[in-house]
Amino acid sequence: MSDTTPLKPETSGPAAPPAAAPTTDVTLKIDGKSVTVPKGTNVLEAAKVAGIEISYFCYHPGLSSPAVCRQCLVGVKGQPKLVPSCYTPVAPDMEVTTDSDQVLTARQQMLEFTLVNHPVDCPICDKSGECSLQKQFDDWDGGASRTDVPKREKPKHVDLGPTIVLDAERCILCTRCIRVCDEIAHSHQLTMSIRGDRQQISTAPGQTLDNPYSLNTVDVCPVGALTAKDFRFTMRAWELEKVDSVCPGCATGCNTEVHFSKGRIYRLIPRENLAVNKYWMCDEGRFTYHAVRKDRHAIATLRGEPAAVDKALAAASDRLAAVLQSAGPGVVGVVLNAQATNEDNYALAKLATALGIERFYLAGRAPRPERQDDILMHADVNPNTTGARAIVEALAPGKAKGGAQLGSDILSGSIKAIIALDDTLELDDDTRAAYGRLDLLVTLTSYTTGLTEHSHVALPIPLWAEVDGTFTNVKGLVQRVRKALEPAGDSRPAWEMLRELGKRLNAALPFPTVKMLFKDMTATVPAFTGAQFGRDSLPVLLRFAGSRG
Amino acid sequence: MSQRLLDRAHAVFGPRIVSSHAFHGDETIVVEGTDIHDVLSTLRADAEAKLDFLVDLTAVDHYGREPRFEVVYHLRSMATGERLRVKAEVPDTDDGTEPSIATICDLWKCADWMEREVFDMFGIKFTGHPDLRRILLYEEFIGYPLRKDYPKEKRQPLVRRDPNT
Amino acid sequence: MSDSHSSSAPSVPGGNEPRKMVIGLSTAEDYDARRQAAVLGNEDDDDEMPTEPMELNMGPSHPSTHGTVRIVLTVEGETVTDADVQIGYLHRAFEKESEHATYTQVFPYTDRLNYVSPMLNNVGYALAVEKLLGIVDDVPERAQYIRVIVGELARIADHLTATAAGSMELGAMTIYFYAIKAREWIWEILEEISGARMTHSYVRVGGVAYDLHPDIPSKIRTLMPKIQMALHDVKELLFENRIFRDRMDGIGVFSQEQALSYGWTGVSLRSTGVPYDVRKDHPYLVYDRFDFSVPVGTTGDNFDRFILRIEEITQSMRILNQAFDQMPEGPVVVDDPRIILPPKQAVYNTIESMIAHFKIIVDGVKVPPGEIYSYTEAGNGELGFYIVSDGTGRPYRLRCRPPCFMITSALREMIVGHGIADIVPTFDMMNMIGGECDR
Repeated sequence: MSDTTPLKPETSGPAAPPAAAPTTDVTLKIDGKSVTVPKGTNVLEAAKVAGIEISYFCYHPGLSSPAVCRQCLVGVKGQPKLVPSCYTPVAPDMEVTTDSDQVLTARQQMLEFTLVNHPVDCPICDKSGECSLQKQFDDWDGGASRTDVPKREKPKHVDLGPTIVLDAERCILCTRCIRVCDEIAHSHQLTMSIRGDRQQISTAPGQTLDNPYSLNTVDVCPVGALTAKDFRFTMRAWELEKVDSVCPGCATGCNTEVHFSKGRIYRLIPRENLAVNKYWMCDEGRFTYHAVRKDRHAIATLRGEPAAVDKALAAASDRLAAVLQSAGPGVVGVVLNAQATNEDNYALAKLATALGIERFYLAGRAPRPERQDDILMHADVNPNTTGARAIVEALAPGKAKGGAQLGSDILSGSIKAIIALDDTLELDDDTRAAYGRLDLLVTLTSYTTGLTEHSHVALPIPLWAEVDGTFTNVKGLVQRVRKALEPAGDSRPAWEMLRELGKRLNAALPFPTVKMLFKDMTATVPAFTGAQFGRDSLPVLLRFAGSRG
Repeated sequence: MSQRLLDRAHAVFGPRIVSSHAFHGDETIVVEGTDIHDVLSTLRADAEAKLDFLVDLTAVDHYGREPRFEVVYHLRSMATGERLRVKAEVPDTDDGTEPSIATICDLWKCADWMEREVFDMFGIKFTGHPDLRRILLYEEFIGYPLRKDYPKEKRQPLVRRDPNT
Repeated sequence: MSDSHSSSAPSVPGGNEPRKMVIGLSTAEDYDARRQAAVLGNEDDDDEMPTEPMELNMGPSHPSTHGTVRIVLTVEGETVTDADVQIGYLHRAFEKESEHATYTQVFPYTDRLNYVSPMLNNVGYALAVEKLLGIVDDVPERAQYIRVIVGELARIADHLTATAAGSMELGAMTIYFYAIKAREWIWEILEEISGARMTHSYVRVGGVAYDLHPDIPSKIRTLMPKIQMALHDVKELLFENRIFRDRMDGIGVFSQEQALSYGWTGVSLRSTGVPYDVRKDHPYLVYDRFDFSVPVGTTGDNFDRFILRIEEITQSMRILNQAFDQMPEGPVVVDDPRIILPPKQAVYNTIESMIAHFKIIVDGVKVPPGEIYSYTEAGNGELGFYIVSDGTGRPYRLRCRPPCFMITSALREMIVGHGIADIVPTFDMMNMIGGECDR
């Protein structure tokens, strides 16, 4: 189930929903059930629509079908032999059987054949617990082995590239990884070598597996043949918990699952969303979780000295009240941030409006045009540029200025106090020094780097993996991030901190829960009209979530 | 359990039964939470059903589903040995207060403690209960542990210190 | 169907008048008359001291309550005028823990429910999961007989414990040693069967962990006369003991209506004359193949509950004898590789068994979505398990219906208006087991 909520198109024009090609529907019968699907659908997908499960290894809905694993064989009336359902398009009045004795025997015998040379190493295999082979065997066979010949031995540790290691023994030669490289990353880096029962996956001559989408091969690998260097041997997959989230790496907003255990994230993997990232994500996005544990600003500071959050809030409000009283709201600026969630940005903008502040700046990480491609990666490395801009436009139309403008405004002395969200302002040394001239700099930040050390008051806030909130991607889709970890140290969500600040400055923000804040936001910001916060859900332990295989 | 009782319940209550099912011989009717006292007292007094023994009373938290809670009653007829499960739907409240349902303490005395346990574990209030307080946990306990959003690993001290001292 | 224990009435040696052994001799009216005289005193008596209400804590740790329970008493003199029974001291979050464990991992938790008859909990829980899986009838006969055997042994142990502790707390220490010694013999047998003295975890979903050793039936058969002897000693020592009878007869009287309203089951309900026993009324396993009777009481007093337990031990032994005669040879687990672990030899040498083993241990036995309530006759009454499954390897919700929870809830009504000393036998004969009541 996707949490993506489509929005009304903005003037900049987010991608319109892909125009559906004119299709004609085909009606066929599967196990006696009548199903109607668009023409061109294969039998396997049609069976899914009918709620009938067909086993498979080599098929993947996002890739072409070579029909090499023969696990999805079904019977079709009028055809003497079984046919691979992943490769057979539906035809009118087709009659398919998936549960006849012939089909079940074929399925069991194919599994037995696949297992002949598969090593007995589940206990040391990283894929255990999320392995398709385990799942298929458990679902469809479960019988005892009849093999009495020694298993074929192959290399156990082949370094394919900077991110991936191959165990050739475990490989069942489904070729999904080859197709991912060819069809998704558009680089032919993997291939088959040797023949017969010695056949194995290897890199193409003169190549290493180093494309920016290489880790998708690990996701599609149905067994433990390909493992990610970043994840292997760090955690048993079945001990992990998952929550649905969104990648914070760039404006594309790929849907992800955050896999974590006991307060630590172990990996991000892509989650199916045909409107955004289909089944894939880039390697760079997968590694964004490392930053959750690095350089965290987990305790409030007053001029660099640790302080209790309440004390820091009191200091911030006292000094802000003094500035507002002596110089008025005209010299105060707020900095929204494209790295922060819609909720945090909205709370800050709302507080600013309530205090009469009219200087809005929109900060964020500088774009990196070199990473832009036509697959998934976007030059804008902020997850919420669209959302932050929409919020300023709604609450202070035409007043948003860029981060560079902030630098010159400080240098010219036209602003004396700043409340800034996050610390990603990238400024030159002169401007940085100019922060010393400010009467008050309040930052709400997650990291110890950047502006934090120059701040009068630095309040710790959680990162994307520690809060419930939303990001708006480049297409204008409002997508939900969910809390996986407890906030680091003393941190509390920025909107909560701002609510406290508002209470002390007599500018109440009436949001007891983030849900109510979201409701208020969707009513206020026209670009968010109709967006939903999504259903409540709890982390699920992977062993009880069904195999990912 | 008994298909006969299920048919009887349908005959007596008609559209007041939200849904019903039988699974492995366990017949179940689902009714609105507001209806529960009336349904149970009717089933108890009904000459054909005669469900005069309250076997069990508990609740289930279907987190993320509407209505969130179900209070589950298991009834038995001492005359015929037939059984019926009655489930009452109790929606969660929006403002963070405890949801509520009518007590059946006046029908069966054992409901007293069992309702206290459901209150203790799920935070469902039984209106009209004479002595609704925690039963297995201590009064200072915060939260309702059998709710799905209460983490299993959560610990809380028995004696709370005043944060201001 | 009732098999009242109406033995002939022996005369009390040296007593003034013969006391009949039939339950029901002492009525509530007798009791009230006695109390009127003994506790409240004669109204004409000028020596009566004026009293004012006093609050008195009984428990949580009290030498004469075998179970951790706190009773806040309001007493006037020796009379209890109000009581607040507070349970929960042994709450271990059984239900919450079970929601986070696979179906197989719940077995050790069930051992600790009624910890004097863990086998009965094992059996009850296994039957509940099997009902959800729809394999109740597929469990091999031998496994069903083994379950009956270990279950009845546990029931004997449970009743022996209840009678032993009950009499000890009335001062009869010798009885305690006799009965506990008999219980220990049973636990030795159960240890031989399962490997553990108390926390057996012997039953599995789909059968039992391993077959009985061929010697076990003959061992139990030689043991039974010894238990009979111990029971004989208990009867001889207690039934004609004036102190014991005075504190049991007509004390803790509960009517049928009250008992049903309080949801009583098991021995406690049968003491009031309701012949409800799950083994008879809703036969499970192979209980419909045994010839045994369900003894019921007449007055619903403490002595009824005491003597019913002793009589049920005899009935359990009848069942055991028949079970040994009828028990067939054969497998002790269902033949389904998705439920039962493969043999270790195969796990280490073939990938197929390795995978099967791995999936059952890590993902748990896949149970189809649905909800069931399954109930068995445990030591204290109807032990029910209500399980809601969402189709994964662990229960979405597991509710245990503890029989002694409902029985203990009546304690207040039973002791208010009576003397403090009456609490002890009344509470003892309820046989509240903290592990089960508080979960």
